[in-house]
Amino acid sequence: MAAAEFPLEVQKLQSDTRPKSRSLLRDAMRRLVKNRLSLAGLMVVCLFLFAAVFGPLLAPHDFLAQEIRSALQPPSSEYWLGTDALGRDIFSRLLYGARTAAVVAFTTTLVSLLIGITVGLVSGYLGPRIDASLMWLTDVTMSMPGILLAMLVNTSLKYPFTSWFDDMYEETRNPFFLNTWWLDFVLVFGALALISWPVYARLIRGQVFSIGESMYVEAARASGAGTRRIMVYHLIPNATGPVIVAVTQGMGAAILLESSLSFLGIGIQPPNASWGSMLSDSLALWRSAPHLLAAPSITIAVISIAFIYLGDGLNDALNPRQ
Amino acid sequence: MLAYLLIRMFRWATGLLLIMFLTYTMMYYGAGDPVRRMFLDQSNINVDAITLERIREQYGLNDPLLQQFWNYLNRLVHGDLGISIREQRPVADMVWAALPISLQLGAAATVISTLFGVPLGVLAALRHNRRTDFTIVGLVVISNAVPVFVTGPLLMLLLVVVLDLMAVPWGWHGLLSTKTILPVVVLVLGPLPIIVRQTRAAVLEVTHEEYIRTARAKGLPGSQVVMRHMLRPVLTPVVTSIGLVLVTLINGAVFVEFIFGIPGFGGLALAGLQQVDYPVIMATVVIGALIVMVGNFLVDLLYPLLDPRITERR
Repeated sequence: MAAAEFPLEVQKLQSDTRPKSRSLLRDAMRRLVKNRLSLAGLMVVCLFLFAAVFGPLLAPHDFLAQEIRSALQPPSSEYWLGTDALGRDIFSRLLYGARTAAVVAFTTTLVSLLIGITVGLVSGYLGPRIDASLMWLTDVTMSMPGILLAMLVNTSLKYPFTSWFDDMYEETRNPFFLNTWWLDFVLVFGALALISWPVYARLIRGQVFSIGESMYVEAARASGAGTRRIMVYHLIPNATGPVIVAVTQGMGAAILLESSLSFLGIGIQPPNASWGSMLSDSLALWRSAPHLLAAPSITIAVISIAFIYLGDGLNDALNPRQ
Repeated sequence: MLAYLLIRMFRWATGLLLIMFLTYTMMYYGAGDPVRRMFLDQSNINVDAITLERIREQYGLNDPLLQQFWNYLNRLVHGDLGISIREQRPVADMVWAALPISLQLGAAATVISTLFGVPLGVLAALRHNRRTDFTIVGLVVISNAVPVFVTGPLLMLLLVVVLDLMAVPWGWHGLLSTKTILPVVVLVLGPLPIIVRQTRAAVLEVTHEEYIRTARAKGLPGSQVVMRHMLRPVLTPVVTSIGLVLVTLINGAVFVEFIFGIPGFGGLALAGLQQVDYPVIMATVVIGALIVMVGNFLVDLLYPLLDPRITERR
């Protein structure tokens, strides 16, 4: 009825400006897709996750299969990105490396986020004295050169763990204690989480203070809402956006850190595939076989940039007021 | 003012102590028995258990953790960093040989990244949301996202193999050698994004201040406005990022010195960790932390001079 009163263009305009649903997620998605760089980032990240999940099915060769006669081959139709010094297919190794990177990124981010949320909430809620000492701890951890700290944690935990596993095997004769390939992963998770949590702790603490001082929380408190109600209905929904952004950027950073540790020969050990160790393996051959170097380094660069642009896009999409 | 400085100093000194204690504890439980390592694992000298025990007693390795840590601190104050297990020579000598190289590289990288970073940041802010701005910010994002151990080898490929511009940069031939160019360039990529970003944000903040408008209104040319009125407030955030810059430099040194075969501090730290040479690990971690903490304290020292409001607020 009302539609007849307006010319067609205005009707169209009205229906355009009035979206059917105004949920945070849909709004954010629309804004994210508008930004081309972030969309490209999103696509690369999706491709990366796809490779991490289905990599073993897609890989044209076994990532461990060594064919010494076809070592150091340039890219060809059989070996899409060539082979390394042991005759292993580089493309397949990249796919398996994606799985390593994804596992490390997810677990490290999750663990450091949990530590960060705990420290941040405790800091924000339990008074200025505890706040000051926790922020001191955060500052000290942040001011430590990250790679030194991660290397230190990784190396110093390795020896006690492996010797404990040896002892356990001596005692129980359980073959479980012989296979320790996953121990590298646990050590890398621990080392990386230990250096990444301060970012999240600061973010959460900042959110607690800025949201806690906002008018709507004051209004809620004035009408008798308790700490728990304010946390569940006001703090958590409003802090979600910045946390999602930080997590996206943190995952990119975790992938970088993992490959740096593996590059230095301290993180994930062979036979597990990691982009970082692929790089350091081929560093000695960079002159005669540059394609070995190019494949993992370009992959690391592209994935890392993709995560950063996705994080930027998410920041614009989820926190439009900034 | 004095109270402020004392509080800050206490803060960083306790931080350093905490890091030293944590490192020592990790080494104490993590590195295994040093005497065993020294004789049986490394040099294959067959020593009976009683001798091992006597050596342990002699070096105080049977003392409780806190006692040993206290002894370590005492030796540290006297400049004794222990003896390397691998090399069988004083760690202090190794550090003295390695640190100057890294300090030169780091100083060169800091100077270059400031010389390039501040103008780039100002330029990006003056052309805010225009093509120049997007290009500079994009380059900053990329150089921040791509790790040193990717840019290093890729640049080497480009400059040595593809373009054939230089010989392979390997080893240390002094700061002014041509082989130092590429390591410094790669090292610069760490602090450069920080400086550009800080400068850009600071300039963007002041462009709409009234004193800038006044300066423009009274007919001052653009360059004068930038030099006289904008750069002064930009100084504060750039100087205060010294701590962050130092962290990226130390992190970068580990990789750059590994890639280009430079016998510096980063290489020493890496070698120590790869060979589980615990006196070397302790020394490099302590010195790395010391450098950053002193840097942070210097920032705290300079801060009230640059921005007098700081001491009143805290």
